[in-house]
Amino acid sequence: MEKEAIVQIQNLSKKIGDKTIIDHLTFDIYQGEVFGFLGPNGAGKTTTIRMLVGLMAITEGEVYINGVSLKKDFENAIKHVGGIVENPEMYKFLTGYQNLLHYARMVKGITKERINEVIQIVGLDKRIHDKVQTYSLGMRQRLGLAQAMLHSPKLLILDEPTNGLDPAGIRELRDYLRKIAREDNIAILVSSHLLSEMEQMCDRIGIIQHGKLIDVKMVDEFMEQQGELSVHFQIEANKNQKEITINDMSTITIMPNQKVVELRMQKEEIPDYTTQMVLAGVKIYGIRSTSTLEDRFLEVTGGNEIG
Amino acid sequence: MVSIIALIQNENMKIYRRIGTIVMIGLLLLAVIATGIIQKYVIKENATDWRTAIQAETTNFKTNLEKNPNLPTALQRHYEKQIQINEYRLEHNVQPIENSTIPGFMNTTANLVSIITLFTVIVAAGSVASEFYWGTIKLLLIRPVTRSKILLAKYLSTIIFALLLLSILFLSSLLVGGILFGLENADVPYLAYVDGHVEEVSLVTHILTLYGYSGIELIMMATFAFMISAVFRSSSLAIGLTIFLLFTGVQVVQLLSKYSWAKFILFANTNLAVYQDGVPIVEGMTLSFSIGMLILYYLLFVSLAWGIFNKRDITA
Repeated sequence: MEKEAIVQIQNLSKKIGDKTIIDHLTFDIYQGEVFGFLGPNGAGKTTTIRMLVGLMAITEGEVYINGVSLKKDFENAIKHVGGIVENPEMYKFLTGYQNLLHYARMVKGITKERINEVIQIVGLDKRIHDKVQTYSLGMRQRLGLAQAMLHSPKLLILDEPTNGLDPAGIRELRDYLRKIAREDNIAILVSSHLLSEMEQMCDRIGIIQHGKLIDVKMVDEFMEQQGELSVHFQIEANKNQKEITINDMSTITIMPNQKVVELRMQKEEIPDYTTQMVLAGVKIYGIRSTSTLEDRFLEVTGGNEIG
Repeated sequence: MVSIIALIQNENMKIYRRIGTIVMIGLLLLAVIATGIIQKYVIKENATDWRTAIQAETTNFKTNLEKNPNLPTALQRHYEKQIQINEYRLEHNVQPIENSTIPGFMNTTANLVSIITLFTVIVAAGSVASEFYWGTIKLLLIRPVTRSKILLAKYLSTIIFALLLLSILFLSSLLVGGILFGLENADVPYLAYVDGHVEEVSLVTHILTLYGYSGIELIMMATFAFMISAVFRSSSLAIGLTIFLLFTGVQVVQLLSKYSWAKFILFANTNLAVYQDGVPIVEGMTLSFSIGMLILYYLLFVSLAWGIFNKRDITA
């Protein structure tokens, strides 16, 4: 079954003066998928997002949300969109509830029940009647998510949503986003400059650099393309130095009392290394492989230079 | 379509849930009470008969006019007006309004409208600029509501704030005046000087007219501050510039009043009371001219505010 594109971006460009900030971006986002928008700082992620939500004027190109042109019919296009642009800045002198009420009044048909439901979903029910100035950053993120979800949008746009969250918070957000994408068939656009985060959160990733879209791929495809893995063995060796032959090509040397072996290899080679080490009497307590996608990403985008 | 009422409710929530606003309302009430106490207990009115005082004043003005034929025209006309009013008082036995009566008190507190102008300018200046300062503008403008409508709600809530303060001023003056000075003398008429002759006006009409005239200046200055705030996104600039103009504007026009083009300056036209009860700053100005100028300035402010706010890229 063909998935329906909820957002169609066609030749989207932004020029400020003579400078082209965003250069003819074209891509679609489908229902039920989490789309990662990846690029180094200054590549144009935030500018693109600001154009998608109507904060910045589109110089050239078209954006259709649920089939409605954002340029021609802003109100009807944007009503399907919920979002957080950069940090979720709220009215600090109001309570969390008053903040939500404020945004609820700006869309027709949001009931008190819906507000309470969203508060339950993001888990703020205990503190919702406290002033926002007493909230931690994590709680503000939750409130930010709540205001974005209020009107049950078809597209959720989150700009650097994990900024300032602790690892537990990031994990929770990730699980929640995957859940609503799957269960409620919402399309989610997430931007980030951290690839490791994207890998775990997204179905597809688009890489942007210098305002141009370099590559759009499924995360799996990205993973398949990967070359070497960095593999981390946690071991206990006995007192003698050992030279272990793995295959025709490689040998490793293990020093007395060595605790860790870190090697780069292809995925297929991991069992060979493991077997040979075990046969040589090395006790293995753990094996962990890290993808070198991060390196590949840096290769593609040419590092973190600001263009 | 989201109703404008809901948007105004939002803006009201953002105005009245802040400490600053409550402090402003408190200060206004305090000013009314302080004025009342000063008028009742501090200022002593001279106990001489009002007829004698008025006669002395009239004689004084007349000799001044005869001795100095080169007095500025504005001052000459002021003297002539005062002489006519004084003569009317003696002829019809109409006592001047004393400060220690409720009409006199309400007449004095009508001057506090300038404080309301100041407070409204502060609210108007913060209305748009604060959203940028807080960063909340980003979440505000990604709703299915046009920017024009959001700006309109902000503008209307500012005007509602001004109207609320004006009602508070009127009612608290009535209450404080009633308690301190009693309700007698409430029916003494006010003498207005219209087209070269004296007319009796009821006091309520007179005070509401005073509020109305000050209200025009209030609206113009609030709209100006609102425009600066929407265009430059800075509330301090909007407050500073507006208050600077408020304090210096009339003086500058007075300095330039010998040039006929001075009548095109906003501040030559903001005080419409001169057409009812005095002389215009520049000779040859008429009420309809001033109203026309005010409408032109108003349209200029409004189109700048809306034009630029609607087009602006939000990069905050």
